[in-house]
Amino acid sequence: MKRLLQWTAVVAGLAILGGLLAPAPALAAKEIKIGAIYPLTGGAAAAGRELRAGAELAAQLCNEARSDIDMTMAKAAGIQSMGGAKITLIFKDHEGNPTLGADLAKKLILDDKVDGILGCYHSSVTKTVSAVCEQYGVPMINGSSTSPGLTERGFKWFWRTTPHDRWFTKDLFDFLVGLSEGKVRGVKAVPREDINVIASACENSEWGSYVSKVIQEMAAEYDFKLRKSLLYSDKSPDLSSEVRSLRASKASVLLFASYTSDAILMVKTLKTQKVQPRIIWGQDAGFDKPEFRSTLGDAIEGILTRSVFLPQVVQIKPVAGQVNSLYKAKTGNDLGGASARAFTGLQTWIHVLEMAGSSEPAAVQKAANAIEIPGQELVVPWAGVKFANTGSEMGQNIMGSGLIGQYQKGADGQMGVEIVYPFDVASAEMIYPFPQW
Amino acid sequence: MEALKNAFDFSDQPRLDLTIAGALALFLLIFPLLPVSAFALATMIQFFIFSLYGMGWNTIGGYGGQVDLGKAQYVGIGAYTTAVLLIRWDIPFWFSMPIGVLLAVSWSFIIGYPLFRLSGHYFAIATIATSLVLKDLFEVWDFVGAARGLEISPIAYQPPDYLRLIFKEDIYYYYVLFAFFLVGILYLNWFRKSRLGFQLRAIKDNEDVARSLGINVHWAKIKTYAIATGYVSVVGSFHACYIKAIEPEDTMSLDISILIALMAMLGGAGSLWGPIIGAGILIPLKSYLKEWLGGMAGLAGMDLILYAVIIMLISAKEPRGVWGIVERWRRRKRS
Repeated sequence: MKRLLQWTAVVAGLAILGGLLAPAPALAAKEIKIGAIYPLTGGAAAAGRELRAGAELAAQLCNEARSDIDMTMAKAAGIQSMGGAKITLIFKDHEGNPTLGADLAKKLILDDKVDGILGCYHSSVTKTVSAVCEQYGVPMINGSSTSPGLTERGFKWFWRTTPHDRWFTKDLFDFLVGLSEGKVRGVKAVPREDINVIASACENSEWGSYVSKVIQEMAAEYDFKLRKSLLYSDKSPDLSSEVRSLRASKASVLLFASYTSDAILMVKTLKTQKVQPRIIWGQDAGFDKPEFRSTLGDAIEGILTRSVFLPQVVQIKPVAGQVNSLYKAKTGNDLGGASARAFTGLQTWIHVLEMAGSSEPAAVQKAANAIEIPGQELVVPWAGVKFANTGSEMGQNIMGSGLIGQYQKGADGQMGVEIVYPFDVASAEMIYPFPQW
Repeated sequence: MEALKNAFDFSDQPRLDLTIAGALALFLLIFPLLPVSAFALATMIQFFIFSLYGMGWNTIGGYGGQVDLGKAQYVGIGAYTTAVLLIRWDIPFWFSMPIGVLLAVSWSFIIGYPLFRLSGHYFAIATIATSLVLKDLFEVWDFVGAARGLEISPIAYQPPDYLRLIFKEDIYYYYVLFAFFLVGILYLNWFRKSRLGFQLRAIKDNEDVARSLGINVHWAKIKTYAIATGYVSVVGSFHACYIKAIEPEDTMSLDISILIALMAMLGGAGSLWGPIIGAGILIPLKSYLKEWLGGMAGLAGMDLILYAVIIMLISAKEPRGVWGIVERWRRRKRS
């Protein structure tokens, strides 16, 4: 024991000293370094794995010529305008911690000399990381943080490909109105009073609290009664008091913004307490993760989740099917909201670099502000990628859109997600109301 | 004047300790001038931050033996005071920081009075509760940005701004914190030899005996709690300017409170150097394990496992922390 402790102390001490005094590594030639900061551990580790796999797949398609994939970036190896330069991803784990995220961003920018940043999933971390990028004039493309405030800060070095929560929440209320008007496939018009009382529970960081705020605004705008609006910590080991409060609200529509572990805990607690609303809706994230499905099994049938990518998208977009096959071979799972957006985020980086012909920040900035990627290039069902470079949403992709899916058991007995919104691309009849637990 | 003399008087410390401390201080002074990476500098800033938190905790937790697990609330008060005053009224750091300390100390008196009617586990639980309640209040208080918090925009100020403490390069932040760090050590050195410091150690040894000696136990604890609060609040204010985006979940979470106590306990609670040793081991270890292993495929989480194993090994070897190991070694050498 004594010897073990002594050796541990010596090794740890030398390692720390070596690390502290190690000079920054030199820049290698003919490669474009992109720092990818994701939550690889912690409550959102499952999402982190997806994000990493999505970004890695996009880098692989860019670096290797793949004629079987109908994407411009896969046609030749590397960035053509830069002599075939290859993309190298440097992954860092922020654990969902904004301070750690900022430190890692400095490390990537100043020590690893990255050409740009991709990340960070948690909006709270994206906020601190993008502030560091803004200070150092390093471009950052964000593929998966949806707090609307991120693109309302007037930053010149920050671009976001994903639609944000104001759009997604609008989709939700349009869907609820459509439900009362008989527009949902397989459901007769539902009396408005049956779905008029809503309650929300959102995790309490930048993302969840903004979703909560937007739900409050939209509920008032669409004339729904918001009976309860809760915030909770995604690290909470117990959500029973929150669920008791939701049950007491007698709301018929329950809305959630949760990361993975808390989404699972929330649904388990709803089931334990036999809370029986007519609709349960999750704002993507935890509700869209493979772990959510595998942990909760049949209990999730009937739950709605907003997403930007559902497996049914492959029926509408052949290129999504091609990429999904590669992703499934790599990870064993279908592309999901997180992986598809990480893929799209890096794909946008590649198009921007191709257009810029250089990794110089000013050239990248100019290209990002001018880029227009057509929808047929993307795995996500968007009209394309084009960033606003004036107005109140600087750097926001104005061609994105969202989907609402519902967990349903297929003929093969497997739990899948069917599209129920937009109404014109619905892939199955909706299960309504939410089944008994 | 006497207090100032006492603060600079380290004559009761072994010569070897002072030599090592002096060499380390010199190393810390020149550290940013060495060819070190940006990550190393950021790690050292975290080391200073948690050393100062730990020094604060050490007054009430170490010398006083009161296990306080609610220090994050004062990080929050300091951070929010500085951010609100800067964003809303453009009041610079050097003015908002003392205001933050004043608010935090006032709050510590308000909750300290009932808190110190409790003792042992009840006190520890109550400190957690007060901190979490304050965090919950901040999460719904629109004036301070509610759960989304506040952001000091990096494009609103032209760095280097010495008054507002807005810098682009970490080296500025490093030296500001280094100065705080030295002042923190001097203050703690004064405190441990002050009347209050002796009173507190008497209370820690035996509260009833201390009371019978005429010590106002309740008041001594409250005053020390306020001193601990001052340390934490100053660093909270600094944190707001350094990280530039604060939210209740980030600044006032239970994790922060636990980490503050852990640094001091693992280094050696109730000793002058304990919190610094604790932070000096745990912060670089955590950062570099994260840096080396955190991003590697297939090794996600391995850094946290190693980190936990090292903490467990130290705790198992000597519950009084690293300083306890040093003292035991010294005793053995003497005998």
